[in-house]
Amino acid sequence: MTPSATETSGIRIQQLHKSYGSLEVLSGLNLTLAPGHIYGLVGPNGAGKTTLMSTICNHTFHSGGTILIDGEDPAENAAVLQRTCFIHEDQPYNDAFSVASILKVMPNFYPDWDEALAQRLVSRFRVPVERRARKLSRGQKSAFAIVISLASRAAYTFLDEPYLGLDPTAREIFYEELLTDFGTHPRTVVMSTHLIDEAADLMEEVVVLHEGEIVLQADVDAARSSAFVARGLADEVRAFALDREILSERSLGRILSATIRGQVTADDEDKAAANRISIEPVSLQDLIAALGIHTLTSALTTENR
Amino acid sequence: MAFSDDRPIFLELADAIAADVLAGLYPEESQVPSTTELATHYRINPATAGKALNRLVDAGIVYKKRGLGMFVAAGAPEALRRERRSELHTHYIAPLLTEARRLGLTTADVVDLITKDQS
Repeated sequence: MTPSATETSGIRIQQLHKSYGSLEVLSGLNLTLAPGHIYGLVGPNGAGKTTLMSTICNHTFHSGGTILIDGEDPAENAAVLQRTCFIHEDQPYNDAFSVASILKVMPNFYPDWDEALAQRLVSRFRVPVERRARKLSRGQKSAFAIVISLASRAAYTFLDEPYLGLDPTAREIFYEELLTDFGTHPRTVVMSTHLIDEAADLMEEVVVLHEGEIVLQADVDAARSSAFVARGLADEVRAFALDREILSERSLGRILSATIRGQVTADDEDKAAANRISIEPVSLQDLIAALGIHTLTSALTTENR
Repeated sequence: MAFSDDRPIFLELADAIAADVLAGLYPEESQVPSTTELATHYRINPATAGKALNRLVDAGIVYKKRGLGMFVAAGAPEALRRERRSELHTHYIAPLLTEARRLGLTTADVVDLITKDQS
């Protein structure tokens, strides 16, 4: 690894605004990302996830506020920007370039580029190197973005829905390669995802974006222990939750499952057992949906009915 | 091993490694997997794997050799066995009796079943 001149101190964002014409996408967002952590960036479509990553990496200009990467403003700052890597989910590749020709110039952009890793990933994901990048299938585009992101060894790597179109085997390869490489070359990884429960184990912290603002940033375990599900007869569950905040409810006949804010106390357990109520943990995805934030989840549930 | 959603992953992972120590899969003074090996194998965040190992360090089951990795402490299997024995009641006997009562069985009925099982 090339020793970088600047100490890696993380990303600090304050009062970040971004508008496209009259449409305000980011509205005074504050966020701090520590070095060497894997973050999950979640939120409904249109929440501003891609815009946020794009703005941090200076692919688009912000309309207000400050971004500091290792204490420096990344705007027009090549030394800082080469420490970031962000491949858009729908990266518009030039029609003339093949996968191989794009890979060949990558070391010019990323001083820590690892060619051997790039070659291994290309062959594991079976990315057709002779094909023009523009002509790749959805899954191949995602795999190619992963190849560039991991091989860049950029101190700040942003992955925009990296699994789109990837089959389960390719997703497994991605998770394995990410964690293996992270082990030898720790860096900050920010991954936007809708597959919250599948990716939850990979994340150290989850950042929830909603209408251009951060509404939750928490350690995954801490987030999951901030609520629980009580399931039993509707009246008994309601009585049990009388002085608690119910985040969401689902009923099945006479049975009610309520997601309740707070931690489970020993007293709760006794009370639940006495009233035929079972207490279950909440999944990260359910919690985020329960917070009224993850509209995608409810859309999917409706579709499945 | 698949993680259940019941408890934080680092607790489940720490218990799983402890169970392997107890079963003799990792003998005393042998090396246990590193944070990166655990993270890659189970597809979990390295910090989570690190938390599991730290928990085992705090419990005196593994210890750190600087620059080499984590090793099973001498006497760890015996310590785990003692701990598990003291938990036999809370984890197995109490739930068994609760279930028996729900089914209308007395403690004596359960004792009968256990005795029959052994003969």
